[in-house]
Amino acid sequence: MSGPELLLDSSIRLWVVLPIVFITFFVGVLRHYVTQLIQSEKKVDLQQVSDSQVLLRSRILRENGKYLPKQSFAMRKHYFNNAETGFFKKVKRKVVPKNPMTDTSMLTDMMKGNLTNVLPMILIGGWINWAFSGFVTTKVPFPLTLRFKPMLQRGIDLLSLDASWVSSASWYFLNVFGLRSMYTLILGQDNAADQSRIMQEQMTGAAMAMPPDPNKAFKSEWEALEIVEHKWALENVEEELVSRDLNFTGLLSRQDRMVF
Amino acid sequence: MSSISELYDVTWEEMRDKLRKWREESYRNSEQIVDVGEELINEHASKLGDDIWIIYEQVMIAALDCSRDDLAWSCLQELKRQFPDSHRVKRLAGMRLEALERYEDANKLYDSILQDDPTNTAARKRKISILRAQGKSSEAIRELNEYLEQFVGDQEAWHELSELYINEHDYAKAAFCLEELMMTNPHNHLYCEQYAEVKYTQGGLENLELARKYFAQALKLNNRNMRALFGLYMSASHIAASPKVSAKVKKDNVKYAAWATSQISRAYQIAGRGKKENKCSVKAVEEMLESMQITMS
Repeated sequence: MSGPELLLDSSIRLWVVLPIVFITFFVGVLRHYVTQLIQSEKKVDLQQVSDSQVLLRSRILRENGKYLPKQSFAMRKHYFNNAETGFFKKVKRKVVPKNPMTDTSMLTDMMKGNLTNVLPMILIGGWINWAFSGFVTTKVPFPLTLRFKPMLQRGIDLLSLDASWVSSASWYFLNVFGLRSMYTLILGQDNAADQSRIMQEQMTGAAMAMPPDPNKAFKSEWEALEIVEHKWALENVEEELVSRDLNFTGLLSRQDRMVF
Repeated sequence: MSSISELYDVTWEEMRDKLRKWREESYRNSEQIVDVGEELINEHASKLGDDIWIIYEQVMIAALDCSRDDLAWSCLQELKRQFPDSHRVKRLAGMRLEALERYEDANKLYDSILQDDPTNTAARKRKISILRAQGKSSEAIRELNEYLEQFVGDQEAWHELSELYINEHDYAKAAFCLEELMMTNPHNHLYCEQYAEVKYTQGGLENLELARKYFAQALKLNNRNMRALFGLYMSASHIAASPKVSAKVKKDNVKYAAWATSQISRAYQIAGRGKKENKCSVKAVEEMLESMQITMS
């Protein structure tokens, strides 16, 4: 049994629904820029960069080792995996577990994150609740049980009202979560085109995010490399090549570089 | 004095896009970059917006190549004004000092960058190039080895090291560097071909066989690589002419060499089509191949 269809004043749409959308959107954009401004510079550890590149090299050895001569592959596998002198066996990194309570830099990062995200949400949620209270804003398209009523219908004390009719505060929260994809659409484009921002950053050469435990990464890489066999891709390359004529199309096209 | 846009009838947008293409594909046609870039900077600076900074960098490096210190200096000034504390701009200042052969000052600048940020690869690489420019190749090799120990993934550096080793005639180590490059770029026919050439230079039956295989691989990746085709011919004929090989291996290699010869003639025929000198050049190629043929003992 669905409740009676309420007809809402169209000025609700004009003065409540749309302003809340705009407010949420612009506050979100503002938050993004504020986060960028007060973000502390990420300090890249030389050791981490080096380790991530070593892991990358080992992975490439596993994947593309078949293009190398057998001896070269064996030489590299030996370098990584040898029982006594192999890199993955010998190198143990000291892992310092980062305790969020005592590590000051992480603490400040967490605080900044809270400040920029949670605080505005609470403030604006409260303001909307106070400013736009006492009336129903919109209806969610699916039926809800009565337990949702006190949560979604703040300020409206009608016992018989369907729980699908919600107040403006819940419309605000709906927007906060819903507009996230809009942000990536708009702010993502912004960042890609903005080359001058990249000018200030350092390029540290393909530094991947290191897993917190490099030792574990080393161990798993060792295991993976151990089982790889060398199957030379060039075994029959000449036979394949001489079986047919070479394709010389395009032999003569010279690229005149100044031709616009 | 006609400008580029009049000469080639292009708009400033096309010039900017061309610069971007050259930048992304790492072309080193410095004179053209200087011509196009200088005009863009002087005439159309306001229309470029934020693109102008990266164009300044590109034009500055090209200007250093062409000894245009005036242009390089003005680009550097603009960049310094906009990004006063940037390491990237500092590196450009260091490059200018290198171009003026003020190596001590350049080194001091790079050291200051590295003190600030030990992971800055650009500064380290410039220091190594200074050593190379001064002719201290053994030191350059040592520094580059240390650099590569920490940054194993830097392909530019591996290539530079292979060149240094080739200059020192240390072919085994050069081969190692090229193997790294082949591993990370298995579809690049040029690395295969260079590796094959190094193996061919090293000599010895095993290396010749490897060379032949990698020449073939380079040809497989790019059918038009003439150098690899000639290399295949040379290595196959060498192996066939060697006294130590079995009859089967000799037969195979003679077959490969003959096939290579026919492909080379075909290529020259195709290349010379429609030209008067065709007959002469084809004949010249045939004669050359005959003279290159190592006599079978």
